Amino acid sequence: MIRRLLAPPRRGRTILAALGVVAASLVVGTAATVGYGLATGFDRAARAADLPHVIARFDREARETVDERVRALPNLEARSYRHEIKNVDLRANGRDTRKGILHIVLEGRRGYAVTEGRDVREADEVVVERGLAREWDVAPGDRMLVFRGWEVEVVGVAVEPDNVAFPLTLTPRVYTSERSWDHPVSVNLAQLWLADPGRADITLTQARATSFGIGGLAFVTRAGIEVLLGQAAGIVISLLVAFSLVALVAAGTMLAASAQAEVQRRLPAFGVQRALGFTPGRLAAGQAAETAVLVAPAAALGLAAGALAVAGPSAALLAQLNEQPPGAALLPVLAACLLAITALVTAAATWPAWRAARRPPAEILLGGDLAGSAGRRSRGPDGLLATGARFAVAARGRFAASVATIAVCAGVVTLMLALAALLERLRDDPGTVGKRYQLSVRLAPSAVDAVKAIPGVADAAERYQVDVADSFRLGEPLRLIAYPGDHTRFEAPPLAEGRRVQAEGEVEVGVGLADALGLRPGATLAVQTEAGSEVRYRVSGVVRALEHDGRIAYVRPARLLAAQPDAGSTIAVRLAPGADRPAVERRLRALGAPPQAVGGATTRNAAFLGVLATVLRGVGLAVGLVCLYALIQALAMTARERRGAVALLRACGGDARTVATVLAGAALVVAVPAALAGVVLEWLVLGPLVARLAASFAVLPLAPSPGQVALVLGGLALLAAAATAVVARRTMREPVIVGLREE
Amino acid sequence: MAVVSARGLVRTFGEGRAARRVLDGTDLDVAAGEIVAVLGRSGSGKSTLLHVLGGLDRPEAGTVEVAGERVTGVGERRLSALRRRHIGFVFQFFHLLPELSGEANVLLAGRVRGAHPSASDRGRGLVDRLGLRHVAGSLPHQLSGGEQQRFAIARALVNDPGLVLADEPTGNLDVQAGAEVLELLSELAAEGRAVVLVTHEASAAAIAHRVLRLEAGRLVTA
Repeated sequence: MIRRLLAPPRRGRTILAALGVVAASLVVGTAATVGYGLATGFDRAARAADLPHVIARFDREARETVDERVRALPNLEARSYRHEIKNVDLRANGRDTRKGILHIVLEGRRGYAVTEGRDVREADEVVVERGLAREWDVAPGDRMLVFRGWEVEVVGVAVEPDNVAFPLTLTPRVYTSERSWDHPVSVNLAQLWLADPGRADITLTQARATSFGIGGLAFVTRAGIEVLLGQAAGIVISLLVAFSLVALVAAGTMLAASAQAEVQRRLPAFGVQRALGFTPGRLAAGQAAETAVLVAPAAALGLAAGALAVAGPSAALLAQLNEQPPGAALLPVLAACLLAITALVTAAATWPAWRAARRPPAEILLGGDLAGSAGRRSRGPDGLLATGARFAVAARGRFAASVATIAVCAGVVTLMLALAALLERLRDDPGTVGKRYQLSVRLAPSAVDAVKAIPGVADAAERYQVDVADSFRLGEPLRLIAYPGDHTRFEAPPLAEGRRVQAEGEVEVGVGLADALGLRPGATLAVQTEAGSEVRYRVSGVVRALEHDGRIAYVRPARLLAAQPDAGSTIAVRLAPGADRPAVERRLRALGAPPQAVGGATTRNAAFLGVLATVLRGVGLAVGLVCLYALIQALAMTARERRGAVALLRACGGDARTVATVLAGAALVVAVPAALAGVVLEWLVLGPLVARLAASFAVLPLAPSPGQVALVLGGLALLAAAATAVVARRTMREPVIVGLREE
Repeated sequence: MAVVSARGLVRTFGEGRAARRVLDGTDLDVAAGEIVAVLGRSGSGKSTLLHVLGGLDRPEAGTVEVAGERVTGVGERRLSALRRRHIGFVFQFFHLLPELSGEANVLLAGRVRGAHPSASDRGRGLVDRLGLRHVAGSLPHQLSGGEQQRFAIARALVNDPGLVLADEPTGNLDVQAGAEVLELLSELAAEGRAVVLVTHEASAAAIAHRVLRLEAGRLVTA
């Protein structure tokens, strides 16, 4: 059967069909690898690290005091303790930070996985988190300076998936053993492993009830960490997962359309076989077997190529999240994809074959596709381009399938471009998250007038930012931002509901916060400051703020300052259009503090977002190649069906360019509506869908820009030209007489 | 001077034992204004001869010249130009494009790259001259066989060729329609064109100035 598929008359079509399956499988392989890796990364890392089911943080206590309470808890399988020290000075390999976290690990289960070297055993040894090891190029055997004066040996590298990795978080973590201390170590962190993790609520309730005398108690569960990690990676991860879903749908549509086209091509052969007495069932089974034999290896190749292509970037992404790549666990997923693709394409090829084969043989021999066009005359010009367009449109079913396939692909390409641009804007452009100021400077509020007087400054105001907690649900952190007067001069996330703040005592809350606390306009937001005071505001409106996952609230500063007089402030500086930014920055520096450029929303790691944007553009390019394949497939089908007409044109003296012009008409009539439909699809469906999946609390600007639309339209026009050139060359290689005989 | 001149044409189909030499040293000269009918049994190579003369097929040996230009041994681009300028084809099954009206089919030949600038005007004139104006906007399936063949002849004449190659032009027509087409071909010859007519109908051969029979790959006088 394979020999027959690769025999000269069918070799070209077989290779073309196989390439289509490879291309679609490539997209599926890419999406499956990224999607599966991200979806299961935390569970895998948590298992590998033996992450505890509950982590309790509290004020420093003697270990015996804490252990007395902990060991009495119900549902407890194991426990261990640590002492966590924040803002530790760390130095190694010429790099340093003052925001390090040192964990003094007591005996018992660890809760982290050592991925390189060994665990700490002796005094003056540390294990460093993988993110720090990579970023600072630290390896076992290196020396590190802790607390400025304590030199330790790095003996291992570890992953603890209860947070994202350094430098995504600014606080790198280092572990040491209690042997480094010559006195009993008090503890402020307990790790609990539960016998039945599903009944963690019972354990936590009892823990709260018996925590009298232990201050600052806060619990984090494994499930809570997963949510927090999801929030930390936030929009980026959600966008990738959403993309994977869209890519799978696009690939499925394309494969099904390709299979339909193959059956359409083989209709005459079906007619002959039916006339010779073959049953419809036998023809359909033959088609199924042939399709499966072709599809399975092509799909395997595409899936493997897709998986390998993104394995590196995906692993890097997971490493940033302190998670592990799936490794061999991905194989069953890819195998399932292989089965699904083979089954989908085989079913898609067999169903129309079955339907076609059930028709009377005479009807099939008449040519099911073209017969319908004989009685119609399309209006419009009769030039060569228009004639080619008519050839393509004559087979209405295939024309619609081709347009739909390429439209979905064009939509995905547009989405990839929009996503990549969004990621870069999230990194670079404060306007993306509703910020209208470009610089902030750490000066006293009294300097506002001096800042306003600088040429090129359009406006300036003091900006207060305080992280507080909801009074009723202390586990719900939120960020209060306060400006005197109208804050929309500096930050104006879109209003989702209600109205803007107009008076002291009113608050605009982000959708993320409103959803978490059930807030609506008219409700009361009560927050507790770090100083312990409570401030109440009436909700005037709900805004689609992207920053801080939408857990944000805009107020005026008087009440906040009354409750927390030392609330941190900066001066927000809005530049006039066309302002000389370096000159403004120099003047601000002269006032006594270096200005900071206002960034985007998601992360401080610019390289991380840059890699993601590149990956997305790469995927867009791959989908563009799928478009090229679909165009060549559609055009080759048209050229083959109308080979008689093409041969006639050549008999009339038409040369290669004449034939190419006709084929260009056939390509353009597919590509142009598909490109427009693709852009509209992204604009109305894919963009909003992905934006909603990624961040329901905000408005993500995923509508394509004019430049992206032009790129997609121009790109498809180029692809149409390339497809035309390929097919025209093939067509011209065929002797004229062959086409005339067929006609 | 001959409009078309062929010398020692050889064309074989198949390989090995199954090989069949349908043209085996075939010679032919057709002068301007002359109609030559080529008769022969089915499969004798009549259509192949026509295709080789028109540059649609390439012989293994021999030469063909049309209007003094070499047809054999030249590239596809030159062949296209040659067909465009000097040769008009008329086929048994008309080969009209089903989506285009009769007139649009005629004009299509004038739209190929390099066609004479006045080809479209000439095409419309031919539609009028052949009495097809009243059905010019009809689709091929709405036309009679005779009308379809007359549109096909008009298409063949759009670029004002000196040589018309007609492959069984009446083979798919009734007697009356066939007679009309043959009369038209006679008129073309009377205008100074060379016409090579492949047929196996005696009535068609009757309009020819010379009737040749293709036997064992060679042309002999019938």
